[in-house]
Amino acid sequence: MRQDRRLYWLLLAPALLLMAVMLYYPMVGTVYESFHETSFLNPDPKFAGLALYRRVLADGTFAEVLVNSIVWTLGVVLLQNVFGFLAALLLNQNLPMQGALRAIVLLPFILPGVVAAILWRFMYDPQLGLVNSLLLSAGLIENSVAWLADSRMAMASVIVAAVWKGFPFSMLIYLAALQNVDRSQIEAAMLDGAGPVRRLLDVTLPAIRDVIVVNIVLTLILTFNYFDIIWVLTKGGPQSATHIFPTKIFETGFGQFRFGEAATYGVFSILVLSVLVALYAIVQGGASRRRAAA
Amino acid sequence: MTRSLMTTVFLGTALLSAGPVLAQQVTLQFWDNQQTESGLSDVQKAAVERFMTENPDIRIEVTTVPYPEYQQRLLTAVQGGNAPDIATLDQIWVGAFAKAGAVSDLTEEAAAAGLSRDGFFGGAWDSAVLDGKLYGIPFNVDVWQFSYYNKALLDAAKVDPASLGTFEGLKAAAEKLTADGKFGVGLFGHKGEDTVVVGDSFIFSNGGRILNDDGSCALTEAPAVEALAYLQELSKFAPGGILNASSGDMRELFLNGSLAIEFWPALEQPTLQKSSLSWGFVNGTAPEGKTPVGTFGGWNLAVFETSAHKDAAWKFIQFMVREDVNGDVVDLIPANKKAAEAFLAKNRQEPQTIMTHLDNAKARPLSPRYLELADAQVAMFQDIYAGGKPADAAAKACDAINALD
Repeated sequence: MRQDRRLYWLLLAPALLLMAVMLYYPMVGTVYESFHETSFLNPDPKFAGLALYRRVLADGTFAEVLVNSIVWTLGVVLLQNVFGFLAALLLNQNLPMQGALRAIVLLPFILPGVVAAILWRFMYDPQLGLVNSLLLSAGLIENSVAWLADSRMAMASVIVAAVWKGFPFSMLIYLAALQNVDRSQIEAAMLDGAGPVRRLLDVTLPAIRDVIVVNIVLTLILTFNYFDIIWVLTKGGPQSATHIFPTKIFETGFGQFRFGEAATYGVFSILVLSVLVALYAIVQGGASRRRAAA
Repeated sequence: MTRSLMTTVFLGTALLSAGPVLAQQVTLQFWDNQQTESGLSDVQKAAVERFMTENPDIRIEVTTVPYPEYQQRLLTAVQGGNAPDIATLDQIWVGAFAKAGAVSDLTEEAAAAGLSRDGFFGGAWDSAVLDGKLYGIPFNVDVWQFSYYNKALLDAAKVDPASLGTFEGLKAAAEKLTADGKFGVGLFGHKGEDTVVVGDSFIFSNGGRILNDDGSCALTEAPAVEALAYLQELSKFAPGGILNASSGDMRELFLNGSLAIEFWPALEQPTLQKSSLSWGFVNGTAPEGKTPVGTFGGWNLAVFETSAHKDAAWKFIQFMVREDVNGDVVDLIPANKKAAEAFLAKNRQEPQTIMTHLDNAKARPLSPRYLELADAQVAMFQDIYAGGKPADAAAKACDAINALD
């Protein structure tokens, strides 16, 4: 038994070492830097206590970044999961050319984030873009819209691009779950006269409840950390209309050489992510317990 | 037998004579970035080979980094203690790198080598001077902005290209040219340095400045605010979406014939030469009776403090800015004035007009916190393009700039 335990640790050691060096050390370093004045100009950290936190919180941009991050995360997660689930329901039917259809739907997910962002930048172009062209020809708008340059439209526009890129990920997970739903339960419901909506609500959704929750929590974490789509589309602009934590951290650290303040934003980001990770752990634990009880 | 003996003796002698050179040879790391797809790297390689032939005791290893990644790579290398021996530094980074003690003071070396402001464009030389010390040697330059115009569109609207050189003329032309789905003038206001340099040139041309001599913000002074108000008026004749538009976006519209006037440095000429457009240009824009003043852009060569071979690095820098070399190793305009004259005569239309604009151009403020200063300026330009009052936008920018310690 003791030998087994030793073997477990031996096998775990490389992964733990890698995580310690690549993940936990920088994370601890970030927390350390957030209490120190350090920038490219003053690379030797000077202890500043909570001064950087006070400075960041006093700056109006912080509140904007926080609100943007919430809107962005909730918007993307909600829409990505709804569209992902609907796409999964569709692809779970016996459609012709199912393989080809799945490959087509997966395409946005396979594209690198930067490529997808550049694609959407072209589509949103106020003069040459496809989005305006389609809406104008359909008579839905009278004049071209500057989707990414108007602070009232920019956040919604980047959310749409991110949902397009991310919904196949949710779809894949939902599709796998739908294929594992016990067919006999669905058939029994049909025999009892349940229609498609009733079967979905009473049989399918309860059967994949754990997957839905895990999917939502996972996409919450991934979306909160998303960087490339927003950076390529707007760099957090216009003004700060689309700045979220990752773009603000990058801009402050690498755009302005203010590492201490970037670290402070990083710590706030870690705090939010810790809550989400805890949520994920709770959800996973609950699911495991239910499976064990079943 | 005799032949093989002789060969052995010959090879042995050659190796013995090469031995001391190989033993003393130093290797320098040179980092540069590539802004265009001009095939510059091949030409640079040839120049580096030439340097190594002239200096067999020095080996140069060139690392070319794409422009968008360059700043981050360099910053990380300096922070990690892995800086190269020599690198090109954007003019606006020199202040921060110098203040951080990352690059060497070259004042004495330059004086001893006879390199002075007279041999380079003044604004470019000034971009490497902080607190009276020289932290780099100008390598290449360009100036924002030239107003490039589409001849066919101007002819059709009966606009005299010479009129674009004045504030009044440019506005009248832009208004006239904005019709039938076409736009008069390509303004841009995204979060990028091109937004700042073009805005600065309007402020400079109107007699304004960014900072006072004591380093405080000068954007609330009348000439600067007037220039902002002028840009706001001009924006009525620009394609929509200014707040997320870049000079690159305007180029696309200019090349497809839907934009009459675009703002770019001289670097734009090779692109336009390859197009089927009939085009011309004037040197920026200023109020009637004043001379247009552009904003300098470009790169300086710097030696890093951590270099173990500073003498060799300095030798390489002198080579790169030499009159007979500088023109072969840049994709902008050589910073060496004599090299620039030859380069422009060979590669650009109206070289003398460009030289005049270069001579009149001003450098951006050399502040160690330039990047934060520029961010405040971008916010100011975005404010006015979004319809905010110019005086309020300038005051907000000055509050942010003056708060920088």
